[in-house]
Amino acid sequence: MSKILAILVLAAAFAWPQLTLAHSPIFDCSDNGDGTISCEGGFSDGSSASGVAIHVQDASGKAIEELKLDKNSEITFKKPSQAYKVTFDAGAGHQVTKDGKDIVQ
Amino acid sequence: MKKIFAAVLVTLSMFAFSSQAFAHFMMTYTPQTVLEKAKDLDMRIVFTHPAEAGHTMDMGGVKEFYALHKRGDSEVKKIDFMKSLKEITWTNPESKNKAYAALISKKDIKSMGDYMFIMVPGYYFEKEEGSYMQQITKLLVNVGGIPGNWNEPAGLPCEIVPMSKPYGLWTGNVFQAQVLSGGKPVANAELEVEYMSHKPDLKKNGLVKKCDVDYPNDVLVTQTIVTDSNGVFSFGLPRAGWWGFAALGVGPEKQHDGKEMSQDAVIWVQAVDMK
Repeated sequence: MSKILAILVLAAAFAWPQLTLAHSPIFDCSDNGDGTISCEGGFSDGSSASGVAIHVQDASGKAIEELKLDKNSEITFKKPSQAYKVTFDAGAGHQVTKDGKDIVQ
Repeated sequence: MKKIFAAVLVTLSMFAFSSQAFAHFMMTYTPQTVLEKAKDLDMRIVFTHPAEAGHTMDMGGVKEFYALHKRGDSEVKKIDFMKSLKEITWTNPESKNKAYAALISKKDIKSMGDYMFIMVPGYYFEKEEGSYMQQITKLLVNVGGIPGNWNEPAGLPCEIVPMSKPYGLWTGNVFQAQVLSGGKPVANAELEVEYMSHKPDLKKNGLVKKCDVDYPNDVLVTQTIVTDSNGVFSFGLPRAGWWGFAALGVGPEKQHDGKEMSQDAVIWVQAVDMK
């Protein structure tokens, strides 16, 4: 019985952070004009996106870089030379992808 | 007969004047408070009567003009915009005076989040009342949809702190906020509320002559509300557009240059129709 309770408590603990993700992810990138791209992310409730995975991929989906948003929910990386896309990946249903051609100064 | 006519005219003008004297409103204006992406912001700072496109006053210069930016739970950053200010002449249908324009570069508001624009004007001397006025004005603009410091105090001598997102209001929503003086709630503070019934024309730098509202009486031109014991007020927004709230004489500065002064806190909010 106590095992079931422990499992329930654990399950609730895992479920709880999901609550803060029950809001829309927001992600935007801009070209700094110096060969780098800066992105920032967040959620519609203002909660932090620090540590959220950022996938930089080529047009075929092959990984170019795997990054994480810093403590300010920001990241700057070298602009890929080929066509690319950037995905903010905060888990299922909380992903936003920006096509490189839409990332402008 | 002439004397009676003159007396009536004088009396009428006195009434007209007194109603105007109660509706001085500092405006910090830009057409849009929600931007999907950063873009250049065209702003105006004017001391006028937005409900009647009435008398425009010399605000005595601008002492401070800056934005407090916050994205999510990041730290608040102060961005000074004093250098963006340019003196202009604001021309209403029957009055004109000095005012200011500011073109805020999109580079300065590139990051998503809230930009709380704070404008501290100089001192305006109201000859008829022999006293000064200073209306410290707040306007919130959001970029990208991530909220920030919209409901946080800016640490001003006096201010109105929103409890409903001032840039996220449907027509009919209730705008609720708290009035602070020296960081503390002001119970029973009197606020004047006005609708910007004459639209600003930023090309001509003036309020247009056309009034969007048919006012049945002066009471409805400038509405009056008071805060509760926690300094909180609530106001239903009956129409899309801009609504100004001025908490009168709540600031700690009560005198300037040896004369009485009303240090007021102003905020502007924008309501949008649900279509």
